[in-house]
Amino acid sequence: LLMVSKNFEQTIPFREIRDSSGNPIFDVNGNPIWLPLVTVTIIAPIGSRISLSLYFDTGASVTTLRSEFYPLLGLRSWNEGVRRQTSTGSDTIDVYQYTISMEVFGKTIECPIYLNNRMPAHPFFSGLLGRETIYKEFGFGFWEKIHELYVTPNP
Amino acid sequence: MTINISNTQNPQGIISSVSIGSISPEDVLDLLGKGGIEYYITVEGDLMFKYWQIYENFVPKEQAAILRTGQPVPEQVDRLEWLSNNLDNIRRDHSGHWIAILNNEVVASAVTLPDLLTQIAKYDNPFITFIPVESVVWDFTFAYGIQKF
Repeated sequence: LLMVSKNFEQTIPFREIRDSSGNPIFDVNGNPIWLPLVTVTIIAPIGSRISLSLYFDTGASVTTLRSEFYPLLGLRSWNEGVRRQTSTGSDTIDVYQYTISMEVFGKTIECPIYLNNRMPAHPFFSGLLGRETIYKEFGFGFWEKIHELYVTPNP
Repeated sequence: MTINISNTQNPQGIISSVSIGSISPEDVLDLLGKGGIEYYITVEGDLMFKYWQIYENFVPKEQAAILRTGQPVPEQVDRLEWLSNNLDNIRRDHSGHWIAILNNEVVASAVTLPDLLTQIAKYDNPFITFIPVESVVWDFTFAYGIQKF
């Protein structure tokens, strides 16, 4: 039998969230909160490059940014794209879909993106990195115990 | 049929057993399952599995801390690290503002994103984020199955 090994070329450490005193913040089960945050570079229509942090969310079908980011995409308003509906924890809401160029994990890809006006602001991440396109372009491995995400651009 | 017990801990050893016809594919899958090794058979008949090779207790924890300190930190991690370490000061100075970070420094701050984008047009690839006025609420039910803390 021919055996092929798949290697992960990149390691993305999760980020432990701490309060202003430097103490860990705990979830409802008493475990420290570690977030899989990924920095991506958005290539604006005028060619400039801007980096953002996104939450690597396996439950998100499409990469999503808060609606306030519409100027970064060269838009005049957040809701001029293709209207879609998506489910949140307890609701179904309208989002608007666009296509962006994005550098992530060492590759430049064209990726669908939703703008969502129901997503609260957070200093550590500006949106969610979802499955669409991302899962086709990369292979992923999680090691929850040691809080690391592994990535290969050659799945 | 004789299977070396060590093979039950080594997926590659198990697969090698199949290559010489010593055990059936069904037995291989059974062994993988008993070993807690996740596997998947593709429609083409390929067997995919993943496993980690771990050298436990490679170094004491104290030494691990030292070795990990010396590890190069990817730039993207470094930016978040700096933001995290300086968040109190940044919130004090820039609450309610969009900020841009470059080379471990806030290089621009603005009330609106268009204003910030104008200010940072001269920089290549700054990191931007918004610093909310209100305290961060760790409740992620806003979208798409993010768990609630």
